[in-house]
Amino acid sequence: MPWTTPAASGATVHIWNGYSLAERDRRWNAVRANAAKAGMDCIFVPLGNGVDGRYLTQLRCSAMVLPTDGRAPMVIADRRSSNAWVPEPWQTGREWAEPMGEALLDLGMQRARIGVAGLKGGSVSHCTSIDGVVNHTAFEYVMSKLPNATFEDATDLVGVVRYVKSDEEISFVRQSTEVATAGIDELIKLARPGVDAGVLYADVLGRLIELRSEYFPLALTIDAIGTEKPKRYLNPPLGRRLGPNALITNEVNAIRGAQLTQVCQPILLGKIPDAWKPLIELHKEVYEAGLAMIKPGTTFGALTEFVNGFGVKRGVKTVVQLHGCGYGDDGPLLSARSRGDRVRDLRIEKGNTFVWKPIAMTADEKIQFSCGGPLIVTDRGCETLFKREHGMVSVI
Amino acid sequence: MMESPADIKWTGYSLAERDWRWQRVCDDAAKAGFDCIFVPLCVDGRNLHLSLEQARGTRSDCRFLTQLENAAVILPTDGRKPIIISDQESGNDWIPELRPVDGSWGTSMARALIDAGMERARIGVSGIRRSLYTHGRAYHGVVNHSSYAEVLRLLPNATFDNATEVVGHARYVKSEEQIACLRCGSAIAAAGIDKMIELARPGMDEGILYTSVMKRMVELGSEYYPMAFYSGLHGGGRLPRFEDPTEGRTLRPMYRIANEVDAVFGGLIAQEQQPIFLGPIPDEWKTAIDVQHDLYYAALEHLTPGQPFAEFMDFVNGFGEKRGAKSIMLMHGRGYGDDGPLFTPQNRGARNRDVLIESGNVFIVKPIVKTADDSFDTSWGGCVLVTDKGGEPLVKRTPGMVSIT
Repeated sequence: MPWTTPAASGATVHIWNGYSLAERDRRWNAVRANAAKAGMDCIFVPLGNGVDGRYLTQLRCSAMVLPTDGRAPMVIADRRSSNAWVPEPWQTGREWAEPMGEALLDLGMQRARIGVAGLKGGSVSHCTSIDGVVNHTAFEYVMSKLPNATFEDATDLVGVVRYVKSDEEISFVRQSTEVATAGIDELIKLARPGVDAGVLYADVLGRLIELRSEYFPLALTIDAIGTEKPKRYLNPPLGRRLGPNALITNEVNAIRGAQLTQVCQPILLGKIPDAWKPLIELHKEVYEAGLAMIKPGTTFGALTEFVNGFGVKRGVKTVVQLHGCGYGDDGPLLSARSRGDRVRDLRIEKGNTFVWKPIAMTADEKIQFSCGGPLIVTDRGCETLFKREHGMVSVI
Repeated sequence: MMESPADIKWTGYSLAERDWRWQRVCDDAAKAGFDCIFVPLCVDGRNLHLSLEQARGTRSDCRFLTQLENAAVILPTDGRKPIIISDQESGNDWIPELRPVDGSWGTSMARALIDAGMERARIGVSGIRRSLYTHGRAYHGVVNHSSYAEVLRLLPNATFDNATEVVGHARYVKSEEQIACLRCGSAIAAAGIDKMIELARPGMDEGILYTSVMKRMVELGSEYYPMAFYSGLHGGGRLPRFEDPTEGRTLRPMYRIANEVDAVFGGLIAQEQQPIFLGPIPDEWKTAIDVQHDLYYAALEHLTPGQPFAEFMDFVNGFGEKRGAKSIMLMHGRGYGDDGPLFTPQNRGARNRDVLIESGNVFIVKPIVKTADDSFDTSWGGCVLVTDKGGEPLVKRTPGMVSIT
């Protein structure tokens, strides 16, 4: 029985939805093909998995059932939203469980093998959400309505499609990087001893959204160089002014065309101490050597081993740090905390876009340096989009 | 004159505030017969994004109880300290010690419940469904499926019941510390509105206007909370709503601007709202604007503690009729996100009729008044604290529509 649209719903929220219909079909067909290969009858993006929902519908909030046999998907949306990709979704207000169940039944999935995107953290998407992102109560209801169907995790079936970017997407990764870089330029322009750290935070964030980035938190530390555990701010710091010798580490994020990118470059309000200089030089070497390795065919295991072993012969530590650009929580995620064991054999592909920012640190880990930004994997190598001169910016 | 962020002395909520919150939750949970309150892992707001409020509200119970952005909480009702599981790198003044997430949230939470002796307990789960006081927009709650299903599997002899109302009711009444933060947030939101009034002119790029308002609030110490911005000519249907700076849109003469300007201070969301018209206000709108002005003040007088919402709702919804207009209650709680009870034109709040208004509640009060023929409607509002004498606006502003000519 088809879902009946409720009489009332809130104001429609307009969000950016500028990708072409060809891009929609590319995404849908690639997900269908992966799902069919895995023996799924459909891919189900349930309530809770907003990021995959947006990737597949360009809607702010949606749920979707995409049959693998080529039939059109059923999309559920709220607040009377629709767009060129999904001109006639089923509309809902705040009730999602029932229309999701109805959509699966309507598509004949009573005894189907249903691939659920977002049920678990994936290799290349939902990487930090190790237990997935699916809403419990709504999903339980859906499963109760289809007691003879099988529900299995299919996060990677969507994830590997998100992993390789189209030309349309890459053009927005470029734009997004330009905006993030403008944010770091603003930070460098304004950061001076005595400056109100909260106002500085507002200025940089203001610059990013003035250039029409969607909001994403700016991350800053502002303590003096040498501070053991500098406090990390994701909101404007209160009660703080920048001091002389403040070391401003940063993650400046921007989103254009739904593509999240990040640049980071430490800024020191003072002269760079001699003890840091060799480490910064070594970072440059490992950064560039890593770039040379990032090309189609290289496995993440090989890249990790290379980078993590790079510093050893020089008596320092170097650690791989990389994650994907894209709709959010893109992978693979390689960092000091997340070693990326499950993606060791995954190969880099043309069309991947990553934020590349390895870390170099002294053996006692007291001095740590990282900087970098997005890159695009090309036919034979990669193109870095982070064009700022390597190193720590010294503001004297 | 407002303080700049560097001069703000607030350094966080006190330990007394933490203990007050935990005690309120424990008392209500014990009364309801729970052995503990369990706030499980909830879906993040970027993924579960039904609205701005709801997205901010997904992990609001954990923020209320721990001041951590992401955590699971097990709070026994027998007075023992809570166990906090988190993926954050370090704790804070409230929670100096965390249990890290080991392998998965599901097994980590289950292990903590077992360590707390809850194998056969009656466990009250917050966030599993919407409640009257919190998570009102999230009909299916906010809980992460895979980890929660694992907890259920690993504790087959425990009973898991919905306890969203328990934490919700603790959040419903604000302490002095919370009220001070909401007052600060309201003042920042009002400053954002002042910036909008200063800059909104025909020819103004709407995206730049949006950015300027947001920047003003962040430079006064607010967390970034997207403004809801509506603009367009009157009479062309519902105005479009934007939650990001727009591209390619310019303000024109005779445009209406509506907004929800929110500021977040101390983790609590304050909201102020101010309709603006880029032209002289048409005569046929004036009655509705006057009625809305009078309704707002009359509503404050009626917003007294100890009574259920029924009488207040009927008063607000019936106010317009006596003046040849229509009035609709639009109001909800203020706090960590998705605070209730929720009264909107879509959700007329019928299920809230028996909810008691209490001293220390803070609401955004923004009733709608329409002309009798529905050709025009207006809503103005701001944060209001319930006191023994009635509603007290947290920042002084005057209801009405601002005309910019």
